[in-house]
Amino acid sequence: MPVRNTAERYGSVAQILHWSVVALLIVQITLGKIAHDLPVGLDKLVTLARHKSFGITILGLAAIRLLWRLFNRPPPMPPMPAWQRVIAHFNHAALYALLFAMPLSGWLMSSAHNFPVSWFGLAQLPDLVAPDAGLAHDLEELHEAMANILLILIGLHVLGALKHQFIDRDGLLWRMLPWRSR
Amino acid sequence: MALPLIAQSFVAAVACLAAAPAASDVWQGDQNAGSLQFVATQAGAKFTGCFRKFTVRFDFDPAGPPSGSLEVMVDLESADTADAERDGILNSAEFFWTDRHPQARFQASQFRREGERWRADGELSLRGIAQPVAVLFTLAGPSRQLGMKGTATLRRLDFGVGQGEWSTTEWIGNEVEVRFDLALIPADARP
Repeated sequence: MPVRNTAERYGSVAQILHWSVVALLIVQITLGKIAHDLPVGLDKLVTLARHKSFGITILGLAAIRLLWRLFNRPPPMPPMPAWQRVIAHFNHAALYALLFAMPLSGWLMSSAHNFPVSWFGLAQLPDLVAPDAGLAHDLEELHEAMANILLILIGLHVLGALKHQFIDRDGLLWRMLPWRSR
Repeated sequence: MALPLIAQSFVAAVACLAAAPAASDVWQGDQNAGSLQFVATQAGAKFTGCFRKFTVRFDFDPAGPPSGSLEVMVDLESADTADAERDGILNSAEFFWTDRHPQARFQASQFRREGERWRADGELSLRGIAQPVAVLFTLAGPSRQLGMKGTATLRRLDFGVGQGEWSTTEWIGNEVEVRFDLALIPADARP
């Protein structure tokens, strides 16, 4: 499999980045949900600390993905009606935006709560804002609302891929998988 | 004999400067005199909190022999980490246990110079446990005020701060740094 994207499919770098983010998002959404439901205590602190570390990892990967994508255009979309093309473009852009907005709002929230972020206990990140309980509360609401939007967009993204695979049968899914397309 | 004359007036000037400050060597201050902060570690990240209510009484003459006393009383309920949930936990029996031990008290009567700084070896009583703690500080003045700025590092578990699950040092650092930056005023001065 080529490292760079070709006209037919995504290269290995784009694929590894895509599927790493998928795996991390599953962990991340699970940790976020668990932390949200836990009572105040050490478990919550630990779960949130891990959630923050994975979030910062996703932020880093999102930046690498975007840079890679800028210098290495994705394969063109298969033929499809214009409205589907518009929705697909919009959804991809929104997913990218949320890959940045989710960790950034979480980081802001941590700073506002005066619970600074450490990346897996290895390095402390600088605070983005001064402690502010009101701001922290607003950011919490925003973070949660965006998480729900992210889940919907991921759902659309997966449904779209499945539609191409099983209804259109245009082999679109193979472009993001390491196996040879049929 | 110009030189000895200059030398004499110099000595007189220094003596005058040394004598100029307040008649009393007792200095005092509270939360209005400056800040008393603590830096603790949660999940590998340091954060800063402060005490909103405390008093300092410092009987000391920086120009005299290194004897005197330093007493700091801290109202533990005034701990403020900018997060109400965490402040609540700090007040609970698992941390400061403010219901039973509303105040922490630091008392020192031994002072010595360490380079540019002073070192006060004393005892901190916190959560019903007294342990030796050293405070390092610099002094500015004295003039109408005595600037006092420094740090002390202590281990929270020496005082039982963080019981049960909170005694983990993996997620909550044992070391806590206390920082203060104060402008003390003579104890006999009217506010």
